[in-house]
Formats: sequence, C-alpha cells, structure tokens
Amino acid sequence: MNELLVQLLEVVELGKADQKSPFPPQLKGQDGASELTTKALEAGVSPQDILENALIPAMDKVGKKFAENKIFVPQMLMSARAMGAAMLVLKPFFASGAIKTKGTFIIGTVKGDLHDIGKNLVAMMVEGSGWSVIDLGVDVPAERYIQAVKEHPGAVVALSALLTTTMVNMGQIVADIKAELPDTFVFIGGAPVNNEFCKKIGADAYTPDPQGVVEYLNKMAS
Amino acid sequence: MKKHNIHLQPLGKTLTVNDQTPLIDVLHEYGIEFPCGGKGTCGKCKVKLVAGEIETTDIHRQKLALLGLGAEWRLACYSTCTSDITLEIDQYNHLILADESEFEYSPQRGFGVAVDLGTTTLVAQLIDLATAKVLAVETMLNPQVKFGADLISRIQACIDGNEHELKRLIRFNIGTMIELLLVKHNVPLHKIAIVGNTAMHHIFSGFDVSPLSQYPFDTPHLHAITFTTSELDWNFEVVGDITFFPSIGSFVGSDILAGIAATGMHKNDTYCALIDLGTNGEIVVGNKNQLICASTAAGPAFEGTNISMGMRATTGAVSSFKLVENKLIANVIGNVSAKGICGSALVDAIALLRKQDLLGIFGEINSGESTIELIKGISLTQKDINEFQLAKAAIAAGLEILCQSLKIQLADIQSIYIAGGFGNYINSSHLVETGMIELPVTKIHKMGNTALIGAKMFLFQDANTIDEIRSKTIHINLESHPNFQDIYVDKMLF
Repeated sequence: MNELLVQLLEVVELGKADQKSPFPPQLKGQDGASELTTKALEAGVSPQDILENALIPAMDKVGKKFAENKIFVPQMLMSARAMGAAMLVLKPFFASGAIKTKGTFIIGTVKGDLHDIGKNLVAMMVEGSGWSVIDLGVDVPAERYIQAVKEHPGAVVALSALLTTTMVNMGQIVADIKAELPDTFVFIGGAPVNNEFCKKIGADAYTPDPQGVVEYLNKMAS
Repeated sequence: MKKHNIHLQPLGKTLTVNDQTPLIDVLHEYGIEFPCGGKGTCGKCKVKLVAGEIETTDIHRQKLALLGLGAEWRLACYSTCTSDITLEIDQYNHLILADESEFEYSPQRGFGVAVDLGTTTLVAQLIDLATAKVLAVETMLNPQVKFGADLISRIQACIDGNEHELKRLIRFNIGTMIELLLVKHNVPLHKIAIVGNTAMHHIFSGFDVSPLSQYPFDTPHLHAITFTTSELDWNFEVVGDITFFPSIGSFVGSDILAGIAATGMHKNDTYCALIDLGTNGEIVVGNKNQLICASTAAGPAFEGTNISMGMRATTGAVSSFKLVENKLIANVIGNVSAKGICGSALVDAIALLRKQDLLGIFGEINSGESTIELIKGISLTQKDINEFQLAKAAIAAGLEILCQSLKIQLADIQSIYIAGGFGNYINSSHLVETGMIELPVTKIHKMGNTALIGAKMFLFQDANTIDEIRSKTIHINLESHPNFQDIYVDKMLF
C-alpha cells in the first residue's frame, strides 16, 4: 500500500491533526493528517482509497481500543480531530460524489438533555467509518429527527441521553418517529440506557460504546 | 404476621422485622448504601450471609455473578427477609465531619439548630445563640440514599411516585436528630436554619421536583420557606421560625449560599473561589461585585461510587497515601486493614502515580496493565483512573468557564476555598499536581463543612444578608458554554 496512506493511518490513530499540533509529542513537527491527505491526493491516490485504506482503518483501531478501555476520551477525541482535519481536505470529493458514503446517520441528544460529548464521540466514529453524519445537536425534539429523516430518506437515526430523567423522553421520540416513518431504524445510547430499555421502548438497537454502533452499521450496510 | 430476627455482625445488633421485609428498608440505617438506587449494578450493598437463608432469584444470581461475588454474598437491594438470618456488614461507623469553626456574631437569647441537609450526609448542631458555641452535634446518613447516591436518582425516585416517602424520610430523620440534640441538652429552641441543595429543598418542602429533571431546569420554587413543627410532624417546640433557606439556582442551593456566607467572598475586593467537593461539585467564583456559580458532575468519583475499590471516608477506607522511598504508604481510617479508598486517597494515589511516572499524560497506565496495585490488596483500574480524570476535568473546566464568564484569568483568583466531606482530609498540593486546581497551593484553603458554618451564621443574620448574596450571584449552566467540550477534554489530561 502507498506509504503516505500508512503514515496517514498512523497519525490519525495517534491523533495528530496537522503539523502545528503539539500532540503527540513524539511526532512533533512532522506532517499531520491534513498535510498527509493533501500529499496523498497530489500523489494521485483516489479520495475513496484515502477514506477506505487510511481513515476508516485508523478509526476502527481507535474505536476498538476505546471499547477495551485501552484509550480514553481525550485520545479518542484527538484521533477524531485528526480524522476531521483529513475529512476537511476530502470535503469537495464528498460533495461531488467522488466518494461514496455507506449511508446517512442522523444523531442528536434528546429533548431535555444538554450532554453532548458521548453523542459527539459516536458521531465522529460513525463518520470515520464512512457514513455521512448529520448532527442535530442537543435538546432535540421528535419533530426535528422526523424532519431530518424526511430530508434524507432511508437515514439511520440515533438518540443519545445521559440522565435517567431524560432517558425516558426517548420512548416518546421513538414512538413519534415510528408513527410517522415506520421503516426508520433507531439506535439508542447513553450511560443509563441498556438493552432491556431499548426493547421496552421499541427502539431497534442499543450498543454500549461507539465502536458497537460502527460495527452494527457496517453489518447493516454490507 | 410472622416476625424474623436479623443479627448484624460485627455490630452485635438484632433487628426484628416482619416477614418479607426488603433488606433495603432496614439496613440503610446501619451504613449500608445503595449508590445505584437498587438496580444491582454497583454491588456496594453487598452483605455476607453468615447464617440462615435468603433466597435468590435468577436476576439476583446473575447480578452476583457479574460482580464476582460467591455463594455467601447477597445484594441487600435484591433481598427480602423470610427467616432468621445473621449478616456480616462492614459498611458501618461513618465519620461525618462536624464543624467547630468560629465566626463573628451578635449575641441573642436562646438556642438554635443549624442543619446541613446533604445529598449523602445530614448534620445538625445545637447552638447557644448567646455565645455561638456548639453544644451538641448529631450526624446521620441521608435516609434517601436507598433511592440512589446522586441527585438525579432521587429526582427520578420522586417522579416515579416516591416523593411522599422521600419527604417523610428526610423530615423524620432531621426531626429525630433534633430530638437527640434535645436529649443531650434540654433547652428551649428559638429557631432552626436548614440549608441544602435545590433538590433537597424541594423534596423536604414537598415541591414538585420534575422541573429539575430536565433542561431548561426552571423551577418556580427557589425561595425560602418556613415551617411549623406540626407541619413537619415534629414533637418538640420551636418558639420562632424553622426556615429552609433559598436556593441560588436549579442546581445550586442554600448550602452554597451558606458556603458563600461562610467564606465571606461576597464582601471581598479580590476574587475568590469556593469549590464544594461533594456529590454535586458546586463552584462559585467572584468578589463583592458579582459571584457566578455552577454545578459540575464531579461527585461520584470522590464519593467512591464509580471507583472499583472506592468508598466514603469511613472505617477501613484509606484516607491518604504518601510516598516513602518510592513506595506508597497508606493511612487507614480506624486503624483497621484497608478495605477501599476514599476521595482524598484517590487524589493522593493519582498524584503519586504520576510522580512515579507510572501514569502517562492521557491517564494511561504506562505498564500497559489494566490495573495498578497501590498497596497490598488495594488497586486502581484503568477505568477508575479515567473516572478520576472526568471528575477532575469537571472541576478544572468549571473553574475556567466561570472565570471566563467573569472576564478574569484563573490567576486573578487570590483565594480558593475547598469545602465538603472529604475536603479536610485532602492534600492541597496533590489537587494542584493532578491539575484539578491550576493555581499555586498557597492559595488553597481547606474550609471543612462550609454549608454548616453558613447555616450557623444564618441563625444570627437577618434576611438582608441573604438577599444581598442572592442578588449578587448568578447561576450558569456549564454545558451550554460553546467551548465546554474542548475545555473539559483538555482538562482530562495530566
């Protein structure tokens, strides 16, 4: 494989966004994800190749390490930032259709809840696995999920909540989405949520960590 | 109805209960806590069945297996009493800090009671209003802990229909504490001052807590409220008012109002900060012109809830660590063998592990192992270290965001007061070394239970002082700061 892609995979995994970023210290002054992506394009590597052979496998490694408690939120976010830097370079190719995504993933923290770090981690990991992601933010009512699915037919929806008191809002939101758009696939996640609750409220899937969502989505897409 | 005896070891107590009594109803008084609210996930209510039978359901056996507990163990939250049993419990003998601080006051006639109604602990002091001396102290666990350790689980319990029970329990226990004070000193009571966070205020007063359960957290009941003894079902007399003092915001209550009064920061020219390292991690920053406050989700790790060998500062808890010849030496509360570590020792352990270069800047255990042994039998897992990072980042990010809101630098803060249950055991240098407080250690002052000190001061003050503090203080929501995530995540690093 192209040496640049090997390097890109490594800097994304280690969380180096660009040459200027101080982390990680052992890569100080070296090219980051942004520079390496530009160089790969200049070297004639296809955008699809960059996504599939560097970014996706890098984020897959990161997701697995996070699920195994080997790395923690700050490292995961740094990797996500590095991936974001690469994605910014690739953005025109997504817009032009030169890169094919696996589907559209709509995510938001449910009404009544302002916590967004967990939601953001899932959004970044899913984006890093080759999906296009629409982040609706926090305190999102049912109507906004429904509207987003109508704008992106066939999109998968994910609801996040951090509190036991706001988790209960998921039930109504799932019911509203299913009433209006019965074929919509709805994930739920967040600290207080579990599989039993998922079944109880009629959501389609629960996973305990971001990597679980990615693996589930990849099975759905394949 | 059939009755059974429950023998508690090593307390030597025997309780007589009705058939089918859930253990959760009778054991919390003996120091058994239910941090997860009886969901069987935390294992903190485990009891050893020494004699007799407690039948287990499939789900109970599953939970025990998940927690790695053998056949002799039961989770009190899943157990009911159906025969005579003997249990060994070691979660007893709680040390709840009772303060003895001094302050300025104008002498009055009679006697008063100051009450700190904490999420976890209750403290009541009987005060001679002529001398401001503490005549007697009573401490208890908040009886609502059987509904969960954190505020959200209490609020949830109220929403689920237990609001009358939570109200009854807390009114009953505070009444009992005051009766016990009066048993020690049979004096006429003139007034009672109660402080607590907004959820405790609502539950005690019988207000609807549901506005506190979700954004935008607007409740119409932040005001002070007075009661008569008959309203509270209390069987003693009080000449004057029984007052629950007003809250500052939906998650910052009169305990923090009292804390501000105790530090005097509302009268200072220079900027000061108050951090309550309790369950809700409230922070206040400001000076005589303006005070800004917020609550952070810092508490669970400091209270031991999310730490695998975590426990509160009670018998058997390691309260501090020090490094002697590159080895950790533990100080254990009650001079018994160490059973777990409390918040202050957690801070010590992290600071010292960093010093020994055993933890990296991301909090990773450098050896690559998933646990790290501190002393024989006591270890921290990678997950515990991460939990600590979340807690310390919540405090550090809170401080930074409050300073930004005041348009000052962190370094502009001249004094930082540390309050709360484990605040007194804490090693200030280690707070600095872990990055929780990014200021010179000389600026850190340990204040003990500032809520209680303030409540005592409120017995002597008129409403003006309280109105003055409230009018200067605003409450913000840290999560709604646009850079909250970046700041919070940066502060997780060492």
